[in-house]
This record gives sequence, C-alpha cells and structure tokens, in this order.
Amino acid sequence: MHFTGNRYDQERGKEEEIEVWKKRITNQEASYINLPMNKEEYETFYQELISAEVVTLHEFEKREIFEGCMPIEIMAKRGVDTLRFGPLKPVGFTDPRTGRRPYAVVQLRQDDVSASMYNLVGFQTNLKFGEQNKVFSRIPGLEQAEFIKYGVMHRNTYLHSSELLDATYCFKKNPNIYFAGQITGVEGYVESISSGLVVGMNVVNRLQGKEKIIFPKDTMIGALANYIATPNEKFQPMNANFGILPELEERIKDKKVKYGKLADRAIASLQNVEDDAIYRLRIRMRKKDKLKFVQERPLVVLIIRRIV
Amino acid sequence: MNKKVTIIGGGLAGCEAAYQIAKQGIQVKLYEMKPIKFSEAHTSKNLAEVVCSNSFKSNLHTNACGLLKEELRMLDSLLIQCADKTSVPAGQALAVDREEFSKLVTKSIQENPNIEIFHEEFTGEELTREASSNNITIIATGPLTSNRLAENISKLTGKERLYFYDAAAPIVKKDSINMEIAFYRKPL
Repeated sequence: MHFTGNRYDQERGKEEEIEVWKKRITNQEASYINLPMNKEEYETFYQELISAEVVTLHEFEKREIFEGCMPIEIMAKRGVDTLRFGPLKPVGFTDPRTGRRPYAVVQLRQDDVSASMYNLVGFQTNLKFGEQNKVFSRIPGLEQAEFIKYGVMHRNTYLHSSELLDATYCFKKNPNIYFAGQITGVEGYVESISSGLVVGMNVVNRLQGKEKIIFPKDTMIGALANYIATPNEKFQPMNANFGILPELEERIKDKKVKYGKLADRAIASLQNVEDDAIYRLRIRMRKKDKLKFVQERPLVVLIIRRIV
Repeated sequence: MNKKVTIIGGGLAGCEAAYQIAKQGIQVKLYEMKPIKFSEAHTSKNLAEVVCSNSFKSNLHTNACGLLKEELRMLDSLLIQCADKTSVPAGQALAVDREEFSKLVTKSIQENPNIEIFHEEFTGEELTREASSNNITIIATGPLTSNRLAENISKLTGKERLYFYDAAAPIVKKDSINMEIAFYRKPL
C-alpha cells in the first residue's frame, strides 16, 4: 500500500524555518510558555509516562506511522535522560524562581491567534486520553490543566481547511465543491454530522438562490465551522469544545456554571439565526426542545439567573 | 436550472448531508464504495458505520459535545435522531447499538425517494475537469479516503495542503496553566 503523501516530508513541512521562528519569538515574547522541572519532579513524571497505558493501533497504522515522528512515551523508554536531550532540553533556560538552569523544561507553544490555547511541544503520543490527563497533570504548572485536545497519532486524511474552505465548508477555489466530515479537520462522530448538516443546508440554499447560512460563532455548530475556516498555520483537527466559543463577558470560575451559560447563549443564538429553513424549525424548537433544556439545567444556574 | 448533487462517501457526514438536501426535494446521488471496496478499518456493508467506539459522548448541555448534539436536534439532524432511537444505556452519554444504528440510517437513506445510492469507488478524475459545471459535489470520504481519490483531491488543493497522518500533541487552555510556575521565554 502506498500513500501519495510522504509522512516525513509532511511533518517537516509543518515545522518552522529557524529564521521564521526567531522572528516570531522576537515579535511575540508570549508565544512560548515554559514549565521548569527539578530532578525529583522530572523523575516522577518520567516513571508515570513509561508505565502509562497506550492505545492499540490498527495493523496498517503500526507499519506506516512511526517513521520520522516518534511518540513521546516511546522516546522516553529509550532511557531516563533521552527526553532531557530531546524535547525537554533545558539548555538556554533559567528558572526565574531559582536563577539556575532547570533539570528539564516542558515547552508550550501558542496554538491560536488569541493565545488562549497552547500545545505541548514534542508531546505527540499514543497514550489513552485518561492516561494523558493523569500523566501530563504531573508536570508542575499543569496540575489543573484543562485539555482542549489530547495528543493522537493515527492515519488521518484531512485538508489544511483553514486555507481552503469557508465557514460553510465550501471549497473556495471551486464553489461547486464542498467537503464534509473528518476530511475537513473536524474530529469525532457528532462533529462530522454537524459538518454534513451545515453543508446540506447550504447546498439547498445555494440551489434555491438563497444566501449562505453561516452559523454564529457562539453556537457550537458555528464555532466548529468557523474554526476550520479561520487562517491558522498550525491547523490541526478539532473536536467540539468550549475553548473555541467566544468568552463570556463575565468571568465565572465554576466550570459547570460557565459551560451552562455558554450553552444557554449558544441555544439562544441558534434560535435567532435568520434563515427560512431554520425559521420553520424554530417553532418546533420553542415548543419541545427548549422546555427539555430548562429541565436539564443544573439548579445553580437557575439560582444565579435569579440573582442577576 | 439543473439541480444535481453528488455526494461521495456514505458515512456520518455524507448521510446527514444527503438527508438535508433530499428533504427539500432535490435529487441526490450518493456514492459509497462499500461493499465493493473496504478501507482498512471498515467491515460492515451498511452506511454510517461507526468504527472507533459506540459512544456519541455526553448528552449533558454542560459538555461541549452534548451542546452540539442539542443544536443538531434543533436543526432536525437525521443521524442524531437515529442515534437517539438506537441508544443503549450509558449514563449521561449517548451510546448506540452500532449495528442497529447503521441499519436504521441505511434504511432511512435507501427509502428516501430523492436519494439514489451507487456502490462504486469514486476516484475523482472528473473533479479536476468539471471546474465550471453546474453540478455540486460534496466530498465526505473521511480519514481513510481511498488513495486514488486522495491523489485527485491533492491536485485540487495542492499536495502540501492534504495531510495523511495526524501526529498531534495535546493542547491545554492557557487559563488553566499555573503561571506562578511557568515563565515566558525571553527573545533570543
């Protein structure tokens, strides 16, 4: 079996030229966040990492994937110091707390334009998602980390959509072509369905001579569509998550309350979309679904509502 | 106007798109290469085969995927309807009986008078030729798109914009990093 894309070339293509990197670093001090570790912290993390459970791959994936790009847990198993000479190299860093070079450093690289998401540099991995949460939370500074996306390594055909598609998943170079599903870089079953629905509704409108339906960014369906259509050099597949919705105006610490509010805003926003087809559905929504929603809402939110 | 829509791929996205278009009275041609040719991960002859897990994740609206499902229910998604109808007990999550789910989707699509299913591999040579045609094509061929089609898609997009592997590191929310420990790198 052969692939038209060469895995190694593709990976290399995603890397930055040193000059580009320097320029970016100089322009934007905040683009890397560093987490220093002392010897003891590193060794605790190391032990957890090498004993964590990994995902079982398909046979065809085992054969194809690992040339040119090694999962962090495999690299770690080569020796206790391998990571300290690789992605966790502390050379050139000074821990501001001690004034000395740390034993190891985990680097986080800015992942989106608004600098709300950071990826762990060199941490591509096959650890199970639950294990990633457990093991990576051992890194000092990430104890409370909220994972927007876990690391993965698998066969996946997908487009660099952020350059190619608009927020209706329409191919900009030839508007007679649409893409839908995981090939667009949405990830997950429900996310795929979501893209299929957006495409379907838009193709109907197009053939009926009506306007495009671009769902609002504060709905999950719209946030996903907008994510894949927003310029992003480091474009990676994305699943539904609250991190891609615009922040609420007020700062709410309790996650559940915050997510409840974001969800309420999303539903309200969806009900206000100006479109004939959605208008017809709206009557049904108001009758049935909204009622169900109110019943599901946690009590805390209702109380806060009343106070506000 | 000649209204012709071709959908490539009878997975979750392709079936949902087909339903949304067909329900407005527009003719859809749906191409699915199974059971003539299978990908490395697919085994069932049905449409909308769910390969990885039988879970559609949480149903709670305080979960991002739960919210997305709720939005899709409001927008009359066929696939979420089928998932709801074939769900198995899974606490707060929506999990489905895979076989029943795929069968129900297949039946709904087969019985739709506006959808015609073709079981053949679409290799996409015409994609590069028909740039100006009136036909609309939806490519919903998933993470295991067949090689010949992938090759033709990369002719449209440029080779460097079609990836074949995903090797991604985890992403965390900045707000959740303890900035008393972390420090920014100073420019070199």
